[in-house]
Amino acid sequence: MSIGGYLSGAGHVGLIGFLLFGPGLSSDPLPIEDIQQVSVISEAEFAALVAPPAPDVTPEIPTALPVPDPAPAPEPVAPVEEAPVVTPAPPPPPAQEPEPDPAPDVTEITPLPETDVTDTPPVVPQTPEVILPDPVDLSTIRPRPRPAPRVAPEAVAPPEPDAVVAEIVQEAAVPNDTSEAVAEEQDATSPEEAATQSVTEAEALEPPSGAVTSSLRPQARPNRPAAAEPEEPRTADAQTPATDDAVAAAVQDALNAAISEEPQRPTGPPLTGGERDALRVAVSRCWNVGSLSTDALNTSVVVGVDLQENGMPVSSSIRLVSSSGGSSAAAQQAFEAARRAIIRCGVSGFDLPPEKYDQWKEIQMTFNPEQMRSR
Amino acid sequence: MRLLKIAFLAMLAAVPATLSIAQSGPLQIEITEGVVEPLTFAIPQFQAENAGSDELARDISRVIASDLSGTGLFREIPAGSFIANRTTFAEPVRFPDWRAINAQAMITGAVGVDAQGRITVKFRIYDIFSGAELGQGQQLLGTRAGWRRMAHKVADQVYARITGEAPYFDSRVVFVSESGPKGNRRQRLAIMDYDGANIQFLTDSSSIVLAPRFSPTGDRVLYTSYETGFPQVFLLDVASVGRRALRTGDGLMSFAPRFAPNGSTAVYSLEQGGNSDLFRIDLNSGARQQLTAAPSIETAPSFSPDGRQIVFESDRSGTQQIYVMPADGGEARRISFGEGRYSTPVWSPRGDLIAFTKQTKGRFAIGVMRVDGSEERLLSASPLDEGPTWSPNGRVIMFTRETLGENGAPSIYSVDITGRNLKRVELPSAASDPSWGPLQP
Repeated sequence: MSIGGYLSGAGHVGLIGFLLFGPGLSSDPLPIEDIQQVSVISEAEFAALVAPPAPDVTPEIPTALPVPDPAPAPEPVAPVEEAPVVTPAPPPPPAQEPEPDPAPDVTEITPLPETDVTDTPPVVPQTPEVILPDPVDLSTIRPRPRPAPRVAPEAVAPPEPDAVVAEIVQEAAVPNDTSEAVAEEQDATSPEEAATQSVTEAEALEPPSGAVTSSLRPQARPNRPAAAEPEEPRTADAQTPATDDAVAAAVQDALNAAISEEPQRPTGPPLTGGERDALRVAVSRCWNVGSLSTDALNTSVVVGVDLQENGMPVSSSIRLVSSSGGSSAAAQQAFEAARRAIIRCGVSGFDLPPEKYDQWKEIQMTFNPEQMRSR
Repeated sequence: MRLLKIAFLAMLAAVPATLSIAQSGPLQIEITEGVVEPLTFAIPQFQAENAGSDELARDISRVIASDLSGTGLFREIPAGSFIANRTTFAEPVRFPDWRAINAQAMITGAVGVDAQGRITVKFRIYDIFSGAELGQGQQLLGTRAGWRRMAHKVADQVYARITGEAPYFDSRVVFVSESGPKGNRRQRLAIMDYDGANIQFLTDSSSIVLAPRFSPTGDRVLYTSYETGFPQVFLLDVASVGRRALRTGDGLMSFAPRFAPNGSTAVYSLEQGGNSDLFRIDLNSGARQQLTAAPSIETAPSFSPDGRQIVFESDRSGTQQIYVMPADGGEARRISFGEGRYSTPVWSPRGDLIAFTKQTKGRFAIGVMRVDGSEERLLSASPLDEGPTWSPNGRVIMFTRETLGENGAPSIYSVDITGRNLKRVELPSAASDPSWGPLQP
């Protein structure tokens, strides 16, 4: 071995010895505040992190859920049966004695026949000058057809002339001589024509300018991801082998306490954004604000509802949780419209994942008509 | 190290509360999109409680359905679609049968006639999908001659209960009924139900009459007549059709009158030397007060519902624009600044909007704007629309639309303040200058 080899070997041995027994690898532990806890989470928990924000906590909402109805609620017996004669309600004061008509009969109050008119009407000095426009062919200045009578979130083309307005689209069945099975004749149906905004007569006559009339609404700032799912007990188990028994015991106690204090906590994976959107759209289709008063259109209501496992709402559970922006009477009208929407579109059950029933068995829906006022 | 352990344990102790807050409460979603369409309703023919009330029951049912459908907010489901047949008023409602035909509301009722000829109308309103009655059933008592009013009253109750708006069906409109060729029209003041029924004339056709205006209580009418040879403001009592000329100005032309909300005073325009100004008159004492003194034409005044302000039109800026001033006169501020000319402003009974006529690019339109002039929106457009008047609840506007040409004639139209449900009020003859009266007591 050459001298160089000895020197190299001695150097390496020295370096290894320095690292093993010297100060090289025996530095002080890093400050605890620089350590970040990392734990392994499941796919569902990760989905919860990236999903839309978790529902706001409303402590005053009772957490106890009523037992879902096993079957559609029976029809309530109309109170008419119990009160065959409508007497308890006082009739409206003005209507109790509607007078025949205060105005006198025509023939008695206008004895003068029209043929008596012989004088020439005097000149009207103050008759407003009416500038008559040139005759205009309305058909040439109407750039688009009259607005559809129905305003909906999505525009629907007018049905074919021979189509019947219906919720679903189906082709007309025609007799087919070549087929052995005779198809039952049925009418073609198509959704009712709908527009996304009501257009007044004045607006309908305005030719399209092509100019941008409104700017896009800026997108809302994304909310922070939902709070992390609670650590499952297995996380505590993973810490059990730790050398410090006191820490492990504390973790176990803390998690047990958390679980015991919240018996109604939803379990299972949360709804995805798509599932929530589907529910939102399903309710929107039946939320009809067309008959609401202007005051009710300024009122937001939060409506609570319990759902059965088949997705059907429990009618008796629909309740007004809170309202804002209008009088109590307006809130009542807004609530009734929201209740109709939930029941009408939930009559066949909302399309929700059964395995996540614990997540949606109780829902609070906020009906905010702000965007509907200008429709 | 010991301190670190203590801190870690303290942190763990806080975990239960944190987890509890994050997971409690039901799922929450927000609905911001909906649909705007008429609410479907079913109205089985009201039950006839005795032999003489069958026709009445049918007619009353039809008027109620017409009232509701005419708003554009409701759509009647034809009786041919009904699955269930009702035989008595007390019969329980089979809600599934009505849900199956997508009826969202239902009105049931019964009509009876007693020995004195008085009729009784009972009715109930149901929310079909909720399976519950809306409010309580009610009963009306009246005379046979007043059956249409009773039907309007029922429709008013249904409308108010479902929409939350104040009602307006049991109201009347005073207008100018016109007949004869275009160059020689004969005009008479007339009143009608809001839907064009029960027309009754208040004057003969011996003189030109213009711009009638109902009093706040609906018992009197102010209008302009050429009865004395030149335009002059008259006050007419609806019940007796007696009339008298107001002493608005000695030998001067007065026009465009309108009642104050208190019904005891009125405002009008008085023409002096080619210029017109606004005046106020006490209808009892005849005392007058000049409100404007500008070298321009001020006309078409209209009070705010609280009686503290007056909106009017003036050409003091060079073109007709809308101004607002205190009710006892004073500085006026202009509120219309859009393109074109603005005229005939009328304050909404709710106080939040002002309706007006707008002329621009050779066309006329009826529009509404906020009382500060903002949020202007045109509701109609035609070669000649003018003269808006508000329904008692401030939800609907009537106006005059005149067609052009040799055979052109004025008609009365109505439109919802949303711009929807523009339609003509069916009348047997030409009509103009509507003024909507209050809800009848």
